[in-house]
Amino acid sequence: MDIILTNYFETGAVILFGVGFATLMLHRNLIKKIIGMNIMDTAIFLFFIAKGYIKGKDAPIIINSFKGVDSYINPIPSALMLTGIVVAVTTTAFALALTIKLYNHYQTVDLEVILRMRGENND
Amino acid sequence: MINYIPIINILILILFSFVMMLIKKNNIVKFISLASNVFIFLLSILLVKKVLIEEVITLSIGNPSNLLGIEFYVGKSEALVGLVFTFVMVMILWYSKFNLEKEVEENRLSFFYILINILLASLLGVIYTNDLFNSYVFIEVSTLSACGIIILKDKKENIKATVKYLIMSTIGSGLVLMAIAYIYSITGHLNISNIHEIIINNYQFHRNAVLIILGLFTVGLGIKSAVFPLHSWLPDAHSSAPTPASAALSALVIKVYVFMLMKVLFRMFSYEIVNSFIIMDIILLLGSMGMIFGSIMAIMQKELKRMVAYSSVAQMGYIVFGIGLGTISGTAIAIYHIIGHAVTKSSLFLISGLFIKKTGSKKIEDLKGIGREMPFTLGLFTLGAFSMVGIPILPGFISKWYLSLTCIEVGRVPLILIILASSLLNLLYYFPIVINGYFGNENLEGKIYKSKKIPFVRLLPIFLLVLSMIVIGGMSYNLIGLFSI
Repeated sequence: MDIILTNYFETGAVILFGVGFATLMLHRNLIKKIIGMNIMDTAIFLFFIAKGYIKGKDAPIIINSFKGVDSYINPIPSALMLTGIVVAVTTTAFALALTIKLYNHYQTVDLEVILRMRGENND
Repeated sequence: MINYIPIINILILILFSFVMMLIKKNNIVKFISLASNVFIFLLSILLVKKVLIEEVITLSIGNPSNLLGIEFYVGKSEALVGLVFTFVMVMILWYSKFNLEKEVEENRLSFFYILINILLASLLGVIYTNDLFNSYVFIEVSTLSACGIIILKDKKENIKATVKYLIMSTIGSGLVLMAIAYIYSITGHLNISNIHEIIINNYQFHRNAVLIILGLFTVGLGIKSAVFPLHSWLPDAHSSAPTPASAALSALVIKVYVFMLMKVLFRMFSYEIVNSFIIMDIILLLGSMGMIFGSIMAIMQKELKRMVAYSSVAQMGYIVFGIGLGTISGTAIAIYHIIGHAVTKSSLFLISGLFIKKTGSKKIEDLKGIGREMPFTLGLFTLGAFSMVGIPILPGFISKWYLSLTCIEVGRVPLILIILASSLLNLLYYFPIVINGYFGNENLEGKIYKSKKIPFVRLLPIFLLVLSMIVIGGMSYNLIGLFSI
């Protein structure tokens, strides 16, 4: 229990990851699936950035004078997650565009209904 | 200069893909795409020559120390896999020059060539890179461009297949990124070699975390490479895509992720570490299940391309089986099978595309008597089918033979039965096409000899693929000796 409370960033991230994963797997609605995907990605970003954060230290930007190596947080996870955010945004945009196309063809965003429709005309 | 070939390959492909976006004429786009791919194929030959002498080339990008910069690591297996991938891609582009217009609308044609260039660049990136986060970015790029080439055909089932593929592979990449976060929090490195040095001494203190990391990587990369229970997206995506695209997807894209899994398991951890966890037995089980059930599901298919796609699930089973044995020779055979299957499956898919184009039907039952109408094309298909079933000299046989030998070596003799059963099942779905195509009086009735013949020039890319398949089979003894992770 103690471990969970001291590492509350990681605990929160893993719970969020679970929420996102369950939404992605269990919901039939495509829009909800995309929301779940985003929650999952955000959880990973939180987890990663928490790994680089040191309590009470500054962002690694030098203002006026260099305060020494010890007074800044680890910048690598933040830089990595910037790329991660770009990737997540691209995937979301692509998925939403596909959803619009899917809706135009099938008149629904319910994935179960769409998958059941196979075999009607061309399979 | 030759040391920089890995990064030059990737940059040339991406650069020319952006040049192609600016050009309106399809013929010029085709020419640029083919020229850039042939050029990197030649560069890859130079790279292989250099690597065979020097063993390993490492290249640091961004910073001379591998602590801060991204590192490329090209050993013999990376260089050879890259060479075969570029070769297959050149042949696919050559084929699509004649055959793509029938399947894709005129105004979307140039997108295919743009996306193929980006796809090959990201695949080569995953193969060459030695940096975990860099490989994650390349994996995402390859997934998005693979989705792009499926959806080029603007039909209902293509959109459905792409959505399915995109959602499944998003789950996969989420799990991979989580695994990278775990490994970064334990070791503080992203470079695979640096992680290896740290984790080899400290893994006993983090056994649970290492198990979680192994599980996340296996499931995440397993979804993307269609390892058996996670394959549900593959048949739809690979059978509905335009033929050259499905050849590229089935022959190249799914292989890369399994190659990445090998790098993670055996280079980042080591044989010793992974064999002390239950994960290798699970991988072996997934591989065996894929070999059997992939073939059984292929037997039940009525459409040619769906059958060939399910056959890919079974063949991925062989690769995963080789990894799951957890020995150096098992890994070597897995890499050999990646190469052998890349060449075989791309030729099978391209030939299926020709059959569908000439007969106008996707169904297997309409292919009866095709051997009289297209004797040479069906002959090439037969050679590919022989390799899948495991007729000696061809790569399929070599993989099965050495896999069985490795099973005996590690003392797991009953597993040979699974390999045998899978071969027999392969026979059950490939041979009816060949036999009904060539023989049987009622099948050949009313078919005119060579009436649907395809000019030899257009068959040349497929012919070269089949020829290289035979060469890979013939050189198997030397090749397998080169492969290691």
